[in-house]
Amino acid sequence: MLVLSRQRDESIMIGDNIVVTIVDIRGDKVRLGINAPSEIPVHRQEVYEAIQRENLRAARLEPGDTESIGRFTNRGPGRPDGPAKR
Amino acid sequence: MRINTSRFGRIDVDAGDIIRFPSGLPGLEDCREWALLADSTNDALGWLQCTTRGDMALAVVSPRRFVPDYQVRIPRSELTPLAISDISQAQVVVVVGKTDTTLTLNLKAPIVINLEARTGRQVVASGELPLQYELTINRQPLRKSA
Repeated sequence: MLVLSRQRDESIMIGDNIVVTIVDIRGDKVRLGINAPSEIPVHRQEVYEAIQRENLRAARLEPGDTESIGRFTNRGPGRPDGPAKR
Repeated sequence: MRINTSRFGRIDVDAGDIIRFPSGLPGLEDCREWALLADSTNDALGWLQCTTRGDMALAVVSPRRFVPDYQVRIPRSELTPLAISDISQAQVVVVVGKTDTTLTLNLKAPIVINLEARTGRQVVASGELPLQYELTINRQPLRKSA
């Protein structure tokens, strides 16, 4: 991994069009400003990893697991188990 | 195109019905082509079946049908790859999971599909939203948070 030292208000560039700026440093917390083209999504890594785990968990679902889902709908036609009670 | 699936047996999918996910899905990055199938017993439910892996499918629903106050906000950067500027131009579905006791919806990372271009993407919605929203008969209002 490339490791660079930066101070507040300094930046690094990734490629031609992504700029990461150190906005603030307080104790063990660093605030980053990210300027990237609109088509490049930026995520906190732990959020992305949580979505990965959730997708893999959801991929274990089988058709038999979802038989009860009609009970939870609140509108729309064709509910096999009737409307949800309020 | 004929696919041997582990859940639905052998199915036929028209090439024109395939939805391309250029980035795959998080955790399923290799699964880039999917077909949206209707569930045979429940019209509220669909299945995204990977066309290149017969054992890979995700149950999906339209979130508003289960969570009426779900208002999804999606950063523009997430929609740009789909060539749409506004979420109203797309179909939004969420992935169904389950816990020991109930079914859950992933409200944090909805799947957005550009039906015209047949491209899709799982996006990260803005705000505090649950990855495992538990479905209950007596729903609690979706908690508002900054």
